[in-house]
Amino acid sequence: MDDLYLENIDEFVNDQNKIVTYKWLSLTLGVHVNQAKQMLYHYLEQKRKESSGTRLHATYLVSGKFTQNGNTCHKVAVVREDQLEGLKSKMIVTASIHVYSIQKVVLKDSGPLFNTDYDAIKENLNICSKYSAIRCASAVPRSSAEISRLQEIAQGTPPASEGQQAASKLSMNGHSPSALKPATQQPKGIMGMFASKAASKHHETSKEVKTEAKEDSVAAEASNSKPTSKGSAMSNFFGKTATRKTKPSPQTAEVVIKEEEASSAASPASKEEDEPSSSSAAKQVPAIKEEKPKTSEAAPKKRKDSKTKAKRLERSDSEDDKSESQQKKRRRIKKPQPDSSDDEIIPDSPPARDVKTPSPPPEAEVKKERATHTEDAGGIKRRKRRKVLKSKTSLDDEGCIVTEKVYESESYSDSEDDFVKSNKQQLSKQPATGGKKVEDKKSQKKSAANKGTKQASIMGFFQKK
Amino acid sequence: MFSDLTAQKGATLLAPPALEGPVFDRVCPSSYTNCSERFKLGERSFSRQYAHIYATRLLQMRPVLTKRAQQMWGADIPVKKLCEIQMGEQCCIVGTIFKHMDLQPSILREISEEHNLLPQPPRAKYISQSDELILEDELQRIKLEGAIEVQNFVTGSVIAVYGAEKNDGKFMVEEYCRAELPPQSPRRGPHADRFVLLASGLGLGSGNADCLLGLQLLVDMVTGQLGDEGEQSGVARISRVLLAGNLLSQSTQDKDSINKAKYLTKKTQAGSVEAIRMLDEILVQLAASVPVDLMPGEFDPTNYTLPQQPLHQCMFPLSSAYPTLQLVSNPFQADIDGLRFLGTSGQNVSDIYKYSGQEDYIEILESTLRLSHLTPTAPDTLGCYPFYQRDPFILEECPHVYFCGNAPAFQSKRVIGADGQDVLLVAIPEFSSTQTACLVNLRNLECQPISFSAFSAEAEEESEMDISH
Repeated sequence: MDDLYLENIDEFVNDQNKIVTYKWLSLTLGVHVNQAKQMLYHYLEQKRKESSGTRLHATYLVSGKFTQNGNTCHKVAVVREDQLEGLKSKMIVTASIHVYSIQKVVLKDSGPLFNTDYDAIKENLNICSKYSAIRCASAVPRSSAEISRLQEIAQGTPPASEGQQAASKLSMNGHSPSALKPATQQPKGIMGMFASKAASKHHETSKEVKTEAKEDSVAAEASNSKPTSKGSAMSNFFGKTATRKTKPSPQTAEVVIKEEEASSAASPASKEEDEPSSSSAAKQVPAIKEEKPKTSEAAPKKRKDSKTKAKRLERSDSEDDKSESQQKKRRRIKKPQPDSSDDEIIPDSPPARDVKTPSPPPEAEVKKERATHTEDAGGIKRRKRRKVLKSKTSLDDEGCIVTEKVYESESYSDSEDDFVKSNKQQLSKQPATGGKKVEDKKSQKKSAANKGTKQASIMGFFQKK
Repeated sequence: MFSDLTAQKGATLLAPPALEGPVFDRVCPSSYTNCSERFKLGERSFSRQYAHIYATRLLQMRPVLTKRAQQMWGADIPVKKLCEIQMGEQCCIVGTIFKHMDLQPSILREISEEHNLLPQPPRAKYISQSDELILEDELQRIKLEGAIEVQNFVTGSVIAVYGAEKNDGKFMVEEYCRAELPPQSPRRGPHADRFVLLASGLGLGSGNADCLLGLQLLVDMVTGQLGDEGEQSGVARISRVLLAGNLLSQSTQDKDSINKAKYLTKKTQAGSVEAIRMLDEILVQLAASVPVDLMPGEFDPTNYTLPQQPLHQCMFPLSSAYPTLQLVSNPFQADIDGLRFLGTSGQNVSDIYKYSGQEDYIEILESTLRLSHLTPTAPDTLGCYPFYQRDPFILEECPHVYFCGNAPAFQSKRVIGADGQDVLLVAIPEFSSTQTACLVNLRNLECQPISFSAFSAEAEEESEMDISH
């Protein structure tokens, strides 16, 4: 073996004033650790023989059998040269002695030794055991494909098995019992609120939640994501809805799991709603839209069990929000704002809608669905019936006038509701099925009414000019 | 002895480099099965009362204790329930111990306004002279007196006592018996020397750098970088490394940031973030060379109640690429090379230490083995999950190696059971303070500590003192 290494070590120690440990040397020169130790010894001996110039200091590693407090233990110690003989004599059996490091300075403390090694290892983490004396056959790092597959299995099977119980517990504590999902999804949901990449975030969360069926949906989403990047005002608005969908996703996570097709279609649904605004994507929409009514119907039906008042309020509130204006993008984090006016919508929705009442996601989905449908139906006027809360006064037996709030059905058509410019786009695109349209109408009407009763939000300053 | 093994080959390293360095193959474990399914929690609901654990514990252990009692005191002794005993009648009763301690912190007393009490400062031990033992079964409870040493027991232990009820309603104990060791399956260990390294209490993130070199030496030794050929070939026989808890130090848990003003803590990270990163780097070095089992401990980022669930692999992005890294629960049970290992990260033992008169960790470990229960003080003073169908901490099968982590010092003991069970008890010392780990030889169930040391300015004086002896 050529003696180049001697020069190398010389350079490191003398010129660069480094602390050369065997490990650092082995990683730097790419040699076996034992060889590095021998190299250090060789260098030390040579330099000592020459006895020229600077004095070198060395630390040694001593290991062996040692008696301490009456027990025999195996001791491994790093000692300075002057302590070497002392420790050697105390050992019963010496297993190994070798040079640990060489440096110019006298080390008071072994701290710098550790730092040198730490830096060396940190840079070479992937080859840290390449020059070691022990090879382990089973310690082969997994490929990234294998890792991702394992992760999916790990996340797919517990949620699937827990999905049943989780769904039943949903109403109890409103949180997913399974450990992983809420932690990852809720922060994303809240942060997603403020991210313009709401679509991709939703993509992320839905991916975690659903099983492999969603890989198809992912593909669909990928294709859909291109038009969404167009970032028009409407797409931002729908982006917000997507984030809102993301936020309640922890709660719906388990429920969603139940219907894989529905949920996988739902994620394209979230993407698709970005499209309607961008006209160029119109073609894709009709095809995907067909899925949407199915999904929105299927999904909300199964969410019946998670009905709560809070959720209802939340839903109608956000529905309200959406229909009002897209400028109110950042109005609020997903807190149900108990609005008295909200109650009106819920009970008397047509049966199809009833099912969809409870949770925000169905409502968000439905809204999206509505949005796409609006695009499809664009301009077609419909005559529909809807239930409206009306006050009816009547005379009692005792002659008192009694005023009751009663739901009455009333027919209406698209053109009747035309109150806000910003909603025009939405208005003109009414969903094909009556139910959703009713919702839309009502929310619009309600929002008109609410404009008076709700607190003016700061976004009022940023009205459309 | 491991040491003897390492000294077998000659010294080669104090010489110029000659041949290519040797490469030893790590021994492959012939078998490894993780048997900790009983400690895995699925979906968790805390809506249940904790009383159910005691009920199921008594139900499960009653037949075992009845059998033991009959073995000890004759098959014809009456084993009665508390509601059936007559005054003065000699009989045997089986029940759960409740130790009434005045100094035991009671949350109700603390928050009660009428007492105006300040919260009690934490003590090392909560025992006092006035402690009493009460035996409870499904329906009743009775005070115990007599030949029963109060400070040897803790709440939650299930025992059988023999004696009679006195006039004042207390039970005079003449003898007592515990469930003793459960049955053990025969040991099918390897024929050649094979070792398992046990370490605990790495204490990363403490800001105390002294122990870091010791830890680096440990890793270097196990991965075969340190030492001469003899040592390296000896180390190649280490088939597994088990890290039993407290990988992070207690200082990563401090909640100062809660008390500080927000503007001071805005950009600060929790101490555990950096510590976990360091741990990941250490694990990558280990996992690249040896199979590692990682158990969480009291200060690690996992749930607080027992059984602690395995740490999540997302915290170890570098090392979880290696299939040799196993993240396991606390308590942990596994079959390694034909030997049953069972142990905890030490929370059970340190809790019993606080509430009983026993001083030695190994003594406490033995008493939990003889009680046939891992954590008798759970759920009274040790947090645990409200089980109701079964108590997973009951020892149903006797292990061959029974360990607990984070002991103040290394201790090991060989216990022989009544039915011929042979168990090695190991109290794994805390590495951050003792720089010591243990090696268990699977062939003959021997345990040897390994200690690591580095030099520092103070050590110089120490060594001088030693030489003067």
